[in-house]
Amino acid sequence: MSEPLPRRVVVTGLGAVSSLGIGAEAVAQALRAGRSGIGPIEQFDSAGFERTLAGEVRGFRPEEHLRRIDPRRWGRSAQFAAAAARLAVADSAMDPERLAGSRAGSSFGTTNGESAVLGRLAEQWVEDGLAALDPAAVAQADAGRIAAAANAELGLTGEAQTLGTACAASNYAIGYGYDQVRSGAADIMLCGGADASNRATHAGFHRLGALAEDVPRPFDAHRDGIVTAEGGVALLLEPLEAARERGARIYAEVLGYGMTCDARHMTNPDAASIAECVRRAHRNAGVKPHEVDYVCAHGTGTPANDRTEVAALREVFGDRLPPVSSIKSMLGHTMGAAAGFGALVSCVAIRSGFLPPSATVREVDPELGADLDCVPVTARTERPRVVQNHGFAFGGNNAITVFGEVSP
Amino acid sequence: MTAAVLDIVGCGVLSPAGSGLDPLAAALAAPEGSAASGPDAPDGPGGEPFPPLEVRPVADFRPQERLGRKGLSRLTRSDQLVMAACGEALAGLARTAGPLDEEARGRTGIVVGTGTGSVRRLAEFTRDTFVQERPYMVNPSHFPGTLMNSPAGQSAIRYGLTGVNSTLSGGPVAGLSALRFARNALLGGHADRLLAGGVEELSAQSAWAWYRTGALGPGVAVGEGSAVFVLERAGARPHGPAPLGHLLACELRSTDPAEGAAAVGRRLAECVGDALRGAGVAAEDVAVVVPGAAGRRGWSAVEERALRRVFGDGGPPRLAAQSVLGETHSAGAALHLAALLACWRDGTAPGGTGLVTAVGPDGQVGCLVVRRAADAAEPGA
Repeated sequence: MSEPLPRRVVVTGLGAVSSLGIGAEAVAQALRAGRSGIGPIEQFDSAGFERTLAGEVRGFRPEEHLRRIDPRRWGRSAQFAAAAARLAVADSAMDPERLAGSRAGSSFGTTNGESAVLGRLAEQWVEDGLAALDPAAVAQADAGRIAAAANAELGLTGEAQTLGTACAASNYAIGYGYDQVRSGAADIMLCGGADASNRATHAGFHRLGALAEDVPRPFDAHRDGIVTAEGGVALLLEPLEAARERGARIYAEVLGYGMTCDARHMTNPDAASIAECVRRAHRNAGVKPHEVDYVCAHGTGTPANDRTEVAALREVFGDRLPPVSSIKSMLGHTMGAAAGFGALVSCVAIRSGFLPPSATVREVDPELGADLDCVPVTARTERPRVVQNHGFAFGGNNAITVFGEVSP
Repeated sequence: MTAAVLDIVGCGVLSPAGSGLDPLAAALAAPEGSAASGPDAPDGPGGEPFPPLEVRPVADFRPQERLGRKGLSRLTRSDQLVMAACGEALAGLARTAGPLDEEARGRTGIVVGTGTGSVRRLAEFTRDTFVQERPYMVNPSHFPGTLMNSPAGQSAIRYGLTGVNSTLSGGPVAGLSALRFARNALLGGHADRLLAGGVEELSAQSAWAWYRTGALGPGVAVGEGSAVFVLERAGARPHGPAPLGHLLACELRSTDPAEGAAAVGRRLAECVGDALRGAGVAAEDVAVVVPGAAGRRGWSAVEERALRRVFGDGGPPRLAAQSVLGETHSAGAALHLAALLACWRDGTAPGGTGLVTAVGPDGQVGCLVVRRAADAAEPGA
């Protein structure tokens, strides 16, 4: 590589496995159409729960999407990551052989790791005791296998970093991958996130009273919580120059990212810390607030999140708030994959020219301010040039990525 | 290359040898006398018996004394171990350079490597969904502890560190995953100071997992612990404390594990070669190697073959800390770096440049290259 460093980094491939379909185009079309991926829980026995809906990937047959790894040797989260990565490579039209021979790696985020596997192990303990733990399941339990699966599936020889920063993890992963390509440490990175629907997560949010009765309604006056969901998502990152040389379709440029930690409370979000995260992301990306055309919100649909998130935005944007919408209104909360889905739709929005809706809002919460444009109900035809994508998490982990149209 | 060097300006270590580098160095010097582990596992959960394996809990941990009683039961053992390690590291830093002010705390963060987080907490939380009257009758205050980022998040709260905070999972490679993430964040200007390392907690659940998979080498104990290293960009504080060492490189690679153990070993050899080249260190200048897989059945030989590929037969002496630590999984790489720094300080390992390696059964491999601080002024970097 003779080009000067740091390099500009672009997204040229997108892949997704979700409740709204398989493949970036299916997901983006569904998000644009305002469709819902939420339905009855099938991944675990929901008997006894009062909330029994989730955004699950129905009828996922990993063997249809995985060409190289044996799905029986990997947990559901790893399968999601590997399938999304494979789809992103196909979408990028990059030659898989060339990719495998490149200095390429992956970074994926997750909240609960191989939670389906861990759930099975816990059940074995309850049913038959610890002496009955299945060694094959134990061998699949580490969360680090999520990025490792993507590398194995694509034959990548570079690093496989799995970020465990909960529901902001995909943004940590994308930011990290961006730095690797930017600095020249890698030439291609597959970045995203994956999580599987599971009993413990559903129970935890249920107990906190954070689960919506039917669907999540971000920014609605009567919003009552999240709906747990699952999926996998991947972005293929490469240098702008390399993308142009091979005539690749470019979705968007990764402009930068920022991270903060609340260090105040494990579960309550903190507006000041989120505002600082926005400022850091802007500084890193070299953008000014007035240049941001759209915010892909964390927008979980809990009263606390949406209030805090909008307050933080006001701290930075003042009374010139750009449109802010939440795709969790359609996908539910895909946990560690959530910010990755946000990144995916941010890239498609920049390329195709639409803002995804807050599809389920009925009455915009007046307490969020009369001027809040949450792109209610239906998508808007409008081409944003700069988009900021939010990811916030338990543990006070905040990360924001910024994407932009590729200027000449 | 010097621009990419990080200083290790402090550390906090809890290991089966005790707290800090000194007991670790002493135990490594006389491993026979260090089998302080009794049959009693720490903090035994609900009468769950342990399998017939030797276990090595952190010696003299006493979390109430270190962390106070308030809120302690909400914290997982992983939370407590990382919190104590960070506390030790920050106290050491404060002794030499004074406490961090608010601005400094905003540029200081924590990066932790783990496997799956607190295995015991997650198992017990999930068990409750099966055995309680309703599946959601779980303990809400135990929910955050089921997440992998709990130790880093809880420790940030305790010490008011609002800088970059992250958690990485990578099994036996996890400590290197964390150090590499931290290195990137520091070199990219996202933070000025990061406490980065790894953690592994002992529990009946994880001990049974080891027992059932038969993945331990003969006679190897299951250990636990946490080590964090205070990292700063090299020379960031010309008048600061003398560093313990300099992190010259930290590289990760991977192979499809279905290609077989030999392919994973070849990738490790390649990774070490790249790391040494990046650090500007010749193979013959490596004075000591700390192998990560020495406690694992099968992988120990794979790692050794990779090292011979790099160094030829013989090569630098190996410092296998597993004799003292046991197999510490996701804390391993961090504790092995601690072992090296401890022996350097004690003068019981050859100085100069050290190599810490790690191999995972999922095909992930990694290594770091570290130079002893006293040797740092030598030219050639």
